[in-house]
Amino acid sequence: MRHIIRRITDKAFTILTGTSVVLLTFVLLIVLGPMVWRGAKAVLFKDTVEFRKMQLDLYNRGNPESLKIETAESESFRKTVYEIVDDFKHGIDTEELIDRTKQIYRQLGKELRYKKITDKEYQRIRLLARDLRDRLQAAFESNDEKIIKENIDYVLQYRLDENLADTAAVEFFTLAEDFLKAAENIDLNKRQQYAGSLQQVEELINRLLGPKPSDAVPALTMDRYGATRWDLAQKLLDQLLWSEQWIKQETGQPLVKIRVSRAEEFAGTKLEPLFGYVENNLNKMLKPEFTVYWQYFIDDSTAGHYFGGVGPEILGTLLLTLLAMLFVFPLGVISAAYLVECASDNIAIRIIRMCINTLAGVPSIVFGLFGLAFFVLFFIPLFGGPSEPCILAASLTLAVLTLPVMIRASEEAIRSVPQAYKEASLGLGASRFRTFVKVTFPVALPGILTGVILSLSRVAGETAPILFTGAIALGPVPKSLFDPTRTLSYGSYDIAVGDRLAMMVPHNQYGMVVTLVLVILCLNAIAIILRARVFRKLRGH
Amino acid sequence: MDDIVRNDTKPAAGTGQSLVLTPLQDLGGFLFHHLGRLLLFLITCSSVLLVLLIFFFVIREAIPFLTKFSLTEFLTTKSWYPEAATPKFGALSLIVGSLYVTIAALVFAVPTGILAAIFLSDIVLLKIRDFIKPVIEILAAIPSVAYGFFAVLVLAPWMQNKWGFTTGTNALNASIILSIMALPTIISVAEDSISAVGRELREASYGLGATRFETIFKVIIPAAHSGIIAAIVLGMMRAIGETMVVWMASGNANQIPSPWWDLSQSVRTMTATIAGDMGETPKDSPHYWSLFAIGVVLLVMTFLLNIISEYFLASAKRKTGKS
Amino acid sequence: MQKEKDNMPTSALGKKANIDQIKSVVSLGDKASPAIKDTNLDCKCAVIKSENFSFYYGLKVGVKNITMEIYPCSVTAIIGPSGCGKSTFLRSINRINDLIPHTRVEGNLLVNGHNVYDKNTNLVNLRQQVGMVFQKPNPFPKSIFENAAYGPRLQGVKNRSQLQQVVENSLKAAALWDEVKDDLKKSALALSGGQQQRLCIARALATRPNIILMDEPCSALDPIATGKIEDLIDKLQNDYTIVIVTHNMQQAARVSARTAFFCLGELIEYDSTAKIFRNPGKKQTEDYVTGRFG
Repeated sequence: MRHIIRRITDKAFTILTGTSVVLLTFVLLIVLGPMVWRGAKAVLFKDTVEFRKMQLDLYNRGNPESLKIETAESESFRKTVYEIVDDFKHGIDTEELIDRTKQIYRQLGKELRYKKITDKEYQRIRLLARDLRDRLQAAFESNDEKIIKENIDYVLQYRLDENLADTAAVEFFTLAEDFLKAAENIDLNKRQQYAGSLQQVEELINRLLGPKPSDAVPALTMDRYGATRWDLAQKLLDQLLWSEQWIKQETGQPLVKIRVSRAEEFAGTKLEPLFGYVENNLNKMLKPEFTVYWQYFIDDSTAGHYFGGVGPEILGTLLLTLLAMLFVFPLGVISAAYLVECASDNIAIRIIRMCINTLAGVPSIVFGLFGLAFFVLFFIPLFGGPSEPCILAASLTLAVLTLPVMIRASEEAIRSVPQAYKEASLGLGASRFRTFVKVTFPVALPGILTGVILSLSRVAGETAPILFTGAIALGPVPKSLFDPTRTLSYGSYDIAVGDRLAMMVPHNQYGMVVTLVLVILCLNAIAIILRARVFRKLRGH
Repeated sequence: MDDIVRNDTKPAAGTGQSLVLTPLQDLGGFLFHHLGRLLLFLITCSSVLLVLLIFFFVIREAIPFLTKFSLTEFLTTKSWYPEAATPKFGALSLIVGSLYVTIAALVFAVPTGILAAIFLSDIVLLKIRDFIKPVIEILAAIPSVAYGFFAVLVLAPWMQNKWGFTTGTNALNASIILSIMALPTIISVAEDSISAVGRELREASYGLGATRFETIFKVIIPAAHSGIIAAIVLGMMRAIGETMVVWMASGNANQIPSPWWDLSQSVRTMTATIAGDMGETPKDSPHYWSLFAIGVVLLVMTFLLNIISEYFLASAKRKTGKS
Repeated sequence: MQKEKDNMPTSALGKKANIDQIKSVVSLGDKASPAIKDTNLDCKCAVIKSENFSFYYGLKVGVKNITMEIYPCSVTAIIGPSGCGKSTFLRSINRINDLIPHTRVEGNLLVNGHNVYDKNTNLVNLRQQVGMVFQKPNPFPKSIFENAAYGPRLQGVKNRSQLQQVVENSLKAAALWDEVKDDLKKSALALSGGQQQRLCIARALATRPNIILMDEPCSALDPIATGKIEDLIDKLQNDYTIVIVTHNMQQAARVSARTAFFCLGELIEYDSTAKIFRNPGKKQTEDYVTGRFG
């Protein structure tokens, strides 16, 4: 019996440990999978004619001729959309109609001054016009069919008035007629609701297709173009076709969200055909095409990362990391060389090693504090520089952060050089310095380079040390070492917790963080390959 | 052949040179050697210099705070209102917050990590091991801001929508991510020390008829316990010092969770406080100094943990050195 | 001569010496290798002179109270069981033992007239005058040319054609030239074990030393390679002082003029090779040489 228990526990234990490793792999896939998938969409996606327009305007990229042709083609399909909407609006947009009547009235007033009529007639027409205007307004504003009919009929009876012909007042009558026709078609009670919904529909169409060709160019860049990506367009299309409403259930129950087809909502109205039309013709209106937006890695971005890429961020990360390695490489290699070649086991060396270990354990945010207090506020001003966060301060801070890593890797590499080479060289009468430079160092170099690359990958991902020492979220491309810079790491943070604007461009959010992760993983892969080669070289001999 | 040997390889100029040279006679060599060594030594001492500078400058900026405000209040009270009319600097909930997420992270990470370490060292074949090691290395290489990104944009909505939490950024979220980040450290150090125990003990135990489970639990783990403790301490260091993940995922609520086991509440850590507050704090204000004071607390904590881990690592080395 | 060499069992014979076979070699007289002739024994200009020399690894004794003189232009072999201090003594001569920490020295060890353990000793000059060949061939992971040119470069030879000349001479002296002359740029690590060891000898010769120390140079090589190296030692002995440490008593008998027998850190007997093997003075020597202990 005891045997069986022991065997079962043994098997169970094996499975348990295996599970933990499977869990690890699982976690890795969960963390990386969705992010890489979504991030890839920043570069590989289906773009639309709006995207190409934007690229041409902002980055001077693309063929203007073919774009013109495409735009013309798409506009021929878009026209229908605008027509349907405008048509419907006439019956609905009472504010606009009222404004229009006021305009007509004013216009009429101007025209009357130049008309050859008697004063009495002038007064009569003016009073009549005002009356018509007020009646029309009352009709527009009312929800009651009877009142509307009453007022409209009243207005229309003056259609044949000779003095009103050839004037702006003619439009009074067209408005009245149109409105009557429209009013027959819609459920007037729903007008408010229609108005609200219509506003949403118009906004969606704006975001899908961009501003109407006749409208003024909007101030914000993000408003100037429609949906630049086909997946975004699909999302917007879905919002266009379905509205979300909250429905009350029985008392005590929470509200439930349901989707209502907008086509049903506008059933029977002039707007109804819009939805089917848009759904069927969106691809002709937007002309989607699969594209590889590799310039993502070079382009600067517009406000809020709405359009564009992560070029400046990549530049910033590169600058910081390479500069940091420049500082730390000589320091690290020389320290490692001394520790291996010259150091004896005395108290000084033990203190040095203890300090290296301490450095390795300092939290990254404390490095940030140190960088702020020392490099930004003390060291750089000491040499006449500005006491502001800048690339120089940030890279110095990162260099200090990565020094222990560099020393450890270099030490390991130098120690792993076979003693035989050293003996041979010394035996031939080379000094210890020459032996190191000519024999030990070249053999240790691949291992040291592995350390460099691992340090690079660590430094590229660090955010906390550069928060106060040189990283900014928005700002121009740096022009000197004394300017702060954007980086992939800080940028990823900022765009993840940033405003709603960032939420509208998830592909850019994920794109930035995935760029960072991919850069780091590539560096690590190179280091692993190098290490395997070094291993094989040393093992084989 | 002999002639060639004779004429061209006869003792050379080198032989003519004296074998014994006083420093005066070989001044160049003497100076080069000794000054060179001195220079290298000084460069190597840069790490000592840097540690001293770090402690000095961080403490220096914290001193104005510590002189003006009471240290006990700082360490023991919970009200952290640095921007109020009468500012209060009670950092207790911050300190507790850090410890809270760290310990919760360890609760997840330690069992998983040690089991994985055992799996890698004792149970699995070398070939499969070569597949698993990269997984762990990749987990270790992913930067903290990417983990924080995942926490905020993937895990938090998931928690909120699927699990019905009031907020997705809470202690649980931060702990889960911290445990993932601490795992590679724990696994690699633990695996090293378990492997270092050596064949002999294992062979002895198996030879007596023990199952693998019994061998591992009764023989290997006790023998490697110093290294395993060191692994846990190092994992703890990693978790306490982590900034970006907790800043993004913990919710940043200045409170101690009220049933202490309720991880679904938001907390705030020391690291997140420093990172979050510093951007808006004017230099040389009490708030500014107080952030450095928190930095000092962090520094002291990690320094102590470092010493503890060094002790256990040295202890492990001693034991395996002997066996 | 070649035939005799092939007949001799070489492996593991350090322990199981066939004393008759050794004696047969030693008594070959004219037919034997010229190395066995007592050349230069009368020369009183000792190149290496040890006076009560002791070497300690911490508290452990490496060698104790060694007093002997090694004569120039001949081959001196040092034999003895494992751990008896042969290598320690050899490596003290060019102070390559300095690489080991916590060591201590007593007495004098004079090379070319100077005490090498004098605190003002210039190690660079010393090691250019005293070349060393190690047990396991250790060419640098560079080309054959670079390996051979390393020494001369240290000595300041920069001219390309001069270097080439020195390299060629050294490789010829080490009997390696014909085998590698077609591709000097090939990596040294691509050569066979025996070739690598000859390259190491060439490398050592390139610094033009007058003493060559060999620490069991053939122990990692196969018999054919061993034979080639022994031939080489034969050729070199007229111009260099060679001290060779070996486990292989037949090898000592074949190549050396004088032999020293070390045991447990002490010099037991030092005399001409013929005498050591045919008629050892001390009983310990006889026991070792006849294989009673290894």
